[in-house]
Amino acid sequence: MFDNYVLTDNSLKNVKKDGKNTGYEMRTRITYYRGIPLSMVHDIQIEVGGRPVPRESIRFSLDGEQYFTLEEMTTVTSYKWEYGQEAIVYVEQDGGLPEGEHEVKLTQVTRVAYIPVPFSGTQTKTMAVQ
Amino acid sequence: MSSIKRAVSLYSYQDEYARGKMTLEDCIKELAATGVEGVEIISDQMLWGAPEVSEETLADWHRIITENGVKPVCNDIYINTVLYNNRKLTTKENLELLKKELRLAHKLGITLVRLVSLTPTDIIEAALPLAEELNVVMALEVHGGMAFHNPETKKFTDLMFKLNSPYVGLVVDTGIFCRKHPRVSTQFFLNQGLNPAVAEYIDNEFAKGRDVEAISHQRVLPDELESGIRSWTDREYVLFAGGYENHDFSVLDEYMPFIKHFHGKFFEMTEEGTEYSIPFKEFIDYLKDKGYDGYIASEYEGGRFALPGTEIDAVSQVRRHQEMLRSYI
Repeated sequence: MFDNYVLTDNSLKNVKKDGKNTGYEMRTRITYYRGIPLSMVHDIQIEVGGRPVPRESIRFSLDGEQYFTLEEMTTVTSYKWEYGQEAIVYVEQDGGLPEGEHEVKLTQVTRVAYIPVPFSGTQTKTMAVQ
Repeated sequence: MSSIKRAVSLYSYQDEYARGKMTLEDCIKELAATGVEGVEIISDQMLWGAPEVSEETLADWHRIITENGVKPVCNDIYINTVLYNNRKLTTKENLELLKKELRLAHKLGITLVRLVSLTPTDIIEAALPLAEELNVVMALEVHGGMAFHNPETKKFTDLMFKLNSPYVGLVVDTGIFCRKHPRVSTQFFLNQGLNPAVAEYIDNEFAKGRDVEAISHQRVLPDELESGIRSWTDREYVLFAGGYENHDFSVLDEYMPFIKHFHGKFFEMTEEGTEYSIPFKEFIDYLKDKGYDGYIASEYEGGRFALPGTEIDAVSQVRRHQEMLRSYI
């Protein structure tokens, strides 16, 4: 029901390193009502233009400095994704995304003890690469 | 006029907070301006780093509270038993987390923690000496969908009766006294494609005075209801409908001595100044009759049913709820 928190408007952009696009990123807020340690982020799934992004290419960051793979994140208890905080989801992809609009679907899955199965928030948006 | 006191849970303003429209300080200022006596917080929502908040955050909290003269009365805490994806935390680990929360409450000047439903019962007794030392009461939330008959809730109340301590009690949510299914939820699901016949079935059950939780949380639904279900939205709606329980106030009788606080859950204030689903007038009359002198904290949950393209206005909803409480108290 908080699915409209999933994709921040105008947050899709290519990421450049040494003059070359190494990938792209977008921003997301938690669809729960409180902040949680990153280890409780059960999964992040992305589709761009209907095509799923390989899990291994996804990195997650709270501050733009420290990036974790989803595998690493399972043990990250010392960083808390705060409620309302825009986290960065980065996808490693040579060349980044072509300029123009893309249909992006982001799904975040979190674990919460009083809900028996991990619950997810999903949003699909057509976004232009900034 | 009775000695029942009014508070607001900052849960109410979560959308405004998440979108950066209101800071923690703005929320407290709004309460002060509305003449609210107490505030209930969710430390994991608005205090960064909780339960290990920085000295700066603590100092800022005390400054905001003091400047605005609103009393912090409850912290809604939660034990992250599913911290790892490959195992549940052990009892010892859960106990350590609870102790951290008790210490945080103490530092925030709060003498009551609300434990979310399904908080492990087996850590309460071991945490009791610290709760006594810090003067922080541990009270389990009794929430719609998990009221007194729920086995996990009963496990806690059994222990509560056994310990018979002023530091172990309950926070009851008024969502267990729904006389009608919230229509903001119905509209939300209809907008998502809910079969109107399913909504009608649920509304009729309420109209007959039945408790929908007893229907929707069963593995097998009544044929008439099941035959109306055509989509995942229909099924989700029916499952959620069980979160609005329809109990008589007398269900509280035996627990009253242990009730530390109420969540004045509400979904929609109507034009007439009443809550659409919950009979607050009768509820407060019941509490007066029982001599309750604690807080009722407005907890607005209608925001989650905002239709696409509409703005959530928790501020005016909370104001109207407070006005209603004030007039009934």
